Amino acid sequence: MTRSTTSQTMAIGHMLQVSGRVILSLPFAYAGTVILLIAAYFMRPALLSPFLLLLIARQAAPLGVAVLGQSLCMRVLSIDLSIGGVVVGVSYILTSGLLPFPDPVLLLIAIVFGIAVGLLNAFFITRLRASSVMVTLAVTLIITGIAVAFSQLRSPGDAPQILRDLVRIKIGIVPLALLIWVALLIPIALFLRKSVFGRYIDAIGANPRAAWVSGIPYVRVVTVVHVMSSLFAVLSGFLLIGFVGVGSMDLGRDLALNSLAAVILGGVTFGQGKGGVFGPTVAALMLTFSFNLLTSLGLGEPAKLMMQGLVIGVAAAAYSVQRKT
Amino acid sequence: MFELIQKSRRSGLSLIVLALPITLFILLCLSSSTFTRFENLANVNSQIAALLIASLGQGLVAISGGIDLSVGAVMGLTSAILVTVDPALAVPLALAVGVVVGLVNGFGVTLFNVHPLVMSLATMTVVQGMALAVHPIPGGTVPAFLRTMAVSRFAGMPAAFFWCVGAIVFAWFLLNLSRFGLRTYAVGANPISAGRNGIAVIRHKVLCFVLCSLSAVIAGIFLSARVGAGDATMGASYSLDTVTAMALGGVQLAGGTGSVLGVVAGVLTLGLISNGMNLMGISPFLRAALTGVLLLAAIGFQRRETIGA
Repeated sequence: MTRSTTSQTMAIGHMLQVSGRVILSLPFAYAGTVILLIAAYFMRPALLSPFLLLLIARQAAPLGVAVLGQSLCMRVLSIDLSIGGVVVGVSYILTSGLLPFPDPVLLLIAIVFGIAVGLLNAFFITRLRASSVMVTLAVTLIITGIAVAFSQLRSPGDAPQILRDLVRIKIGIVPLALLIWVALLIPIALFLRKSVFGRYIDAIGANPRAAWVSGIPYVRVVTVVHVMSSLFAVLSGFLLIGFVGVGSMDLGRDLALNSLAAVILGGVTFGQGKGGVFGPTVAALMLTFSFNLLTSLGLGEPAKLMMQGLVIGVAAAAYSVQRKT
Repeated sequence: MFELIQKSRRSGLSLIVLALPITLFILLCLSSSTFTRFENLANVNSQIAALLIASLGQGLVAISGGIDLSVGAVMGLTSAILVTVDPALAVPLALAVGVVVGLVNGFGVTLFNVHPLVMSLATMTVVQGMALAVHPIPGGTVPAFLRTMAVSRFAGMPAAFFWCVGAIVFAWFLLNLSRFGLRTYAVGANPISAGRNGIAVIRHKVLCFVLCSLSAVIAGIFLSARVGAGDATMGASYSLDTVTAMALGGVQLAGGTGSVLGVVAGVLTLGLISNGMNLMGISPFLRAALTGVLLLAAIGFQRRETIGA
């Protein structure tokens, strides 16, 4: 073998190594999406039509919006599992007719409700230093318990007309719900990249102790993040209620777990405080697409649950191992 | 703000932990004439037996510094297995599943360094999916011998009483009289110094998770046998109920602090509240909400060093 071919093979080997490292350092969601699309091409090519893809993207919008909040929480080493509870609460406020107000006022009440839940979560997490998982699970238990108990007295009715219209309108061929998602996504990504607040989030995620010692307004940042997460959950609830058309106590039940899975898949590692906004967004699309693929293959709820769990477990384990080495 | 928080004694028992169930008991005695009847007390005992067995396992994991949210899903899978598999194989298979789930949780937390909450949330979801795949619609019949073991009476006492006593004695022996217990406290309080003192920390933590899953399997066996049918979602509320009971009993989620007596007190508190609300005819959904409030209150009092998960 001549010297030049050796150096060539070495160069190619190096390139492969570098590209391998780049792919490994990217969020799993990117590679996962490609794999899923290829799988769909061979198994269910019909899913890849632009019309269906847009529908799936529209369907992913509520999850995508919720994921924005979840990813912020996880970047400051917290978790918000109350997203599902917030959606149930919003659904009951908007559709039960218990509160005799016109729709816009109800929407406003739902938003205030979201802020209140976020503040409650944040109070327990930052001031009383309780575990965020336990706090947000307990809050979910409280909200759904009360909502379901009340729904037996007064069952939920139709969704507000504004919301039903909101999700049905299309601009060109693009659904409005999808545009709303993108319209939230881009400013938030820019804001987090450019603002001091975004830097604070990164600092807390990278090393909470150092962030605390260097005087970053830790408590305030975590509080704002939790309030934002609950607000995103409210918006996600608006979209979901619009899709379904009627209120339901089952709405958003798996939103919390799915958002967690999407955030982990999207490269925000729990306990590492790294990651952006786009990884989790792609992961939300990927998860929704995979659920559609599973359904089209005739696999139902159990398969979906097993996949969610596997994704969370395997992705979390893989990232942790990567960090160690 | 990050200085170590002064921990109380190792047991975590305080006056309020013990006073809560006693006060509730007295209040219920005074407010309801049916409460003190033997049938109702036997009923309370049967209602809390499964929670007690699962909570003791949860307590073990918590003292060793972890947490296991997959308890409820394991109970559901156990129930699904009991009514679908050949009666002779059902119990061994369920126990084997418990061991596997415990191993997965334990290795995920120790070797792969995943946060126990995230890890057990993942296994919870997978196991729940498996349970629904095995037995999608509630129903079926539990093997007859299990049914007899769960609902018959012996020497005037309901069978549940003996399940509870057995579980308490075993857990108490494990934590207070064996080397295993001493190591569990050591690992939970400070895994690094425990490791330097010659304790196989990883093996010990994995063992705690396995024991927790096994206790969930036993709780699932008891509950399915008592109900007499299989239900894959039977344990759904148990994951959080066990954590609530444990937190009410003074077991610190940060690890190293807790006691069997505390867990029993916490389970009694939850059980008496449920029974009391039942006797007063309050909606079971509001009961779930109250569990949430209690959980918030209990963990609100457990100040930790860190903010976040």
